[in-house]
Amino acid sequence: MSAREAILSRLTGKTPAEVIRAEAAALLLAPERPAVDPAQVEAVFAERLAVPSVAASYERVADWTALPETVRRYFAEQGIPPVLCLPPDPRLRALDWSGFTLHDSAAPDELAVLAVARLGVAETGSLVFETSPEAPMLPNFLALHHLVVVPEVVAQLEEAALPGAQPRAHYWVTGVSGTTDIEGTYVRGAHGPRFLHVIRLAG
Amino acid sequence: MSAHEPQAAFKTRAAAALHDPILKIAVERTAGTAEAKRAVAVEAFPDFEAARTRAAAIKDHVVANLGHYLEQFEANAVAAGAVVHWARTSQEACDIVIGLCRQAGAKSVARSKSMLGEEIGLPHALAEAGIARVETDLAEHIIQLSGERPSHIIWPAMHKTREQVSELFRRSHRDPHAEETIAAMAESARRHLREGMLSADVGISGANFLVADSGAVCTVTNEGNAELSLVPPRLQIVTAGIEKIVPSMGHAVHLLRLLARSATGAALTQYTTFYTGPKRESDRDGPEEMHIVLVDNGRTAMREEGLAEMLRCIRCGACMNHCVVFRQIGGHAYGGTYPGPMGAVLTPAIDGLAKTRDLPNACTLNGKCQEVCPVNIPLPTLLRGWREKSWREGLEPKATRAGIDLWAWFAQRPKLYRAATATALKSLRAMGRGGWLRKVPMAGGWTRYRDLPKPAAESFMAQYRKGRRR
Repeated sequence: MSAREAILSRLTGKTPAEVIRAEAAALLLAPERPAVDPAQVEAVFAERLAVPSVAASYERVADWTALPETVRRYFAEQGIPPVLCLPPDPRLRALDWSGFTLHDSAAPDELAVLAVARLGVAETGSLVFETSPEAPMLPNFLALHHLVVVPEVVAQLEEAALPGAQPRAHYWVTGVSGTTDIEGTYVRGAHGPRFLHVIRLAG
Repeated sequence: MSAHEPQAAFKTRAAAALHDPILKIAVERTAGTAEAKRAVAVEAFPDFEAARTRAAAIKDHVVANLGHYLEQFEANAVAAGAVVHWARTSQEACDIVIGLCRQAGAKSVARSKSMLGEEIGLPHALAEAGIARVETDLAEHIIQLSGERPSHIIWPAMHKTREQVSELFRRSHRDPHAEETIAAMAESARRHLREGMLSADVGISGANFLVADSGAVCTVTNEGNAELSLVPPRLQIVTAGIEKIVPSMGHAVHLLRLLARSATGAALTQYTTFYTGPKRESDRDGPEEMHIVLVDNGRTAMREEGLAEMLRCIRCGACMNHCVVFRQIGGHAYGGTYPGPMGAVLTPAIDGLAKTRDLPNACTLNGKCQEVCPVNIPLPTLLRGWREKSWREGLEPKATRAGIDLWAWFAQRPKLYRAATATALKSLRAMGRGGWLRKVPMAGGWTRYRDLPKPAAESFMAQYRKGRRR
């Protein structure tokens, strides 16, 4: 008997699949969760980004065309040279990045990356990403400064799910790479980003 | 069976831990902070009690229908391009992982902290196979350098003070920290570990959740080390306990809300990732192959033998952070992979009760662990269950059995019992000085560390009969 058969033979019950499905669905009705006022989704999102465990900086810009200037200003404030890891996302690549040196794969000591999240989540201040040919994953974990464009914000984590066929990775970023592994003391930038800057597209 | 078996008797280890003044400081610093942060997070959450009742119901539903969900998970993971393996024991699980590494010609693996990996003895198996292991979680890196085992499931290096970590890093890192601050030490580890993560041939992790309706594997970390370990290598291997299944992402979301709050007090971990199969054809990064090893290692037996509730556990560590015994002796004294109250229930199931019968006794049954458990596991009841089983199976020491038999003999003879109690009271009172008993024959274990209050002149029953008590 294979290991698979040996394990499953002890676990397989007689409950019909439709009964199991109905039970599972019932377990999700009216879940207890932090309330987000539908009229205040944007404000709650901004508030959550500011809590100490997330500690992201945040600004609103009018539209995509404002991004190069926004990034230029952020780099100047942080003293970062104008070298930017920019994923091959056509919405970003179509913009005027003159004055920047661009590359699309992150170096081991990458200083800054600009990426597009599909969604922001107000409940937790999370940023929702999916991998695709235009959206590599590694730069978002290697760079010291993680700059993220957010075109849309939803209220709750349940809304983050991507319907249909799943990409290789679907991931939520809720702050910077942090650790409390030495005496419970919080340190930012354990392995990945030490700074998270969220740029909300207002338009 | 766990690959790590207790080396010395529990009482010896516990006594050594109690005499270690540094350990107490280190445990208090981290567990104390975690306790305070959890309390704030739970207070702010709307109806945490109802949320944990729902969480328990979700896990019970999964455990009751585990066969259904495992088959569904397997079908969806395979459809997404992953390869699913099944392992009955820790040995089978390690053999599968080592086989995959050898097949890939792997010289080094980057490992993201996984308690299941510890449970099945994966670090040891990799070492035996001559495969270099880069532990990427900061705490796991610390204990890899010190040659120790984790002492906590969330903070494996909880027993280390900053001074001890500093010394380890200075000895092992090429470019160690210049300042004696925790931030500088973390920076030193960041420099040291990055190269190992980016050049590993294989990335290995556990799973916080396996999502049945998509075939996704979910990992959560605050450091982002899981992603840095699992994205660059050509091969990704996940080892997961079969109880990690959830029906859908919605169910995972509910448990995630409770997991982070119970563990660290945050609303969510910094990085929560759902991996579904290997990289797609035109993706820029990700592994060429993804293998998932579903591990039983005693879980089906736990389900059949009255420990199904323990399979609810989502490994948050709240029970140990709030345990008065853990806070005194730390995690290593428990001797198994899992310390604290959840470990005292799990270790006898994994390593056998005969070798671990002291663990369920290392508990005051104050109930705090169940009170803070996000899936409401009746830990005190399960611990009592092990005590009863230990008695039934004749595993208790002869002296204990003889003592309890003697007490039972008296207890069944009320007149004699009352006479004996009255005599004992008189003798104890005669030994008392100033209201306290500093030494009592055959109770040296107690009086060595504390005094007993001098008993009342008459027993409760005697006073009751005289009408002085109602």
